[in-house]
Amino acid sequence: MYRTDIYLEGRVMDPHIKKVYVPMTETAFFILLCLRTPNHGYGIVQRVEELTAGGIRLTPGTMYGSLSKMEKDRLIRFVREEEKRKLYQITDLGLEVLELELKRIERLYKIAREVM
Amino acid sequence: METKKQFKWFTIYEYEKEQEYLRRMHREGWKFRKVSGLGMYHFEACVPEDVVYQLDYNQEGLAHKDEYVQMFRDCGWEYLQDYAGYSYFRKAVSEDGIAEEIFCDSESRMQMMERVFKGRMQPLLVLFCSVLIPQFILSLTVYHCYPLAVFLGCILAIYLLIFASCSAKYNQYKNSSGH
Repeated sequence: MYRTDIYLEGRVMDPHIKKVYVPMTETAFFILLCLRTPNHGYGIVQRVEELTAGGIRLTPGTMYGSLSKMEKDRLIRFVREEEKRKLYQITDLGLEVLELELKRIERLYKIAREVM
Repeated sequence: METKKQFKWFTIYEYEKEQEYLRRMHREGWKFRKVSGLGMYHFEACVPEDVVYQLDYNQEGLAHKDEYVQMFRDCGWEYLQDYAGYSYFRKAVSEDGIAEEIFCDSESRMQMMERVFKGRMQPLLVLFCSVLIPQFILSLTVYHCYPLAVFLGCILAIYLLIFASCSAKYNQYKNSSGH
């Protein structure tokens, strides 16, 4: 073994991806969460406002940068363009990363609840 | 319509200062129209208002400009212009007093700085190391051309000042964002 691998469904995830995305920013989290169905950046912003009752408002600079970066890292993929808006969808890798992040948050939550 | 021009010099990492400058001008009744040349800021008289100005530096965005600008427009930002690789946006402070920004976490602010570094600092550094320093040494040791050496020395000093101020700014930013 020359590196610590993360095995998920028999496949190996690039440790670099795990290092960068677990933990991830709120914007990255909501991008993955919302892109289980195809959507564009602004669509995600709107969806997150709905989900959090206006509590979290994602911003376009952060959104644009995150989408490009996540597309390069193959967590999401470009689907098509509609009226100058690029639609993306989550990939299998993206789903795995989201699942890892959810487990991390769950673990933290459980620990905190036991202690508090 | 009454207009006004002001010359302002901002070094590479001073885009926050520039944003504050444009916001202050708008609050004083001078609406930003454009920046051109070496830093000539054009304004027109307006009703004083609190408007947030934001600069992004995103070459990928510029390459896909329609789609890039559309996302900002959708989020309520007015796109103004591009200048030296930066894109200028503005948005009025909302009635509940919330001054929005185009970045919402420290990670994306750092990434913007890194893009600025790659796009603007790196070429300067290359020029500095591959041309200015060798020429300066040659002018002293081979050409013995002292006026040239003094001239190059001054440019070197200016460059060093810029680098110093930029790295100070970068570190300050890095520390304040907790990295």
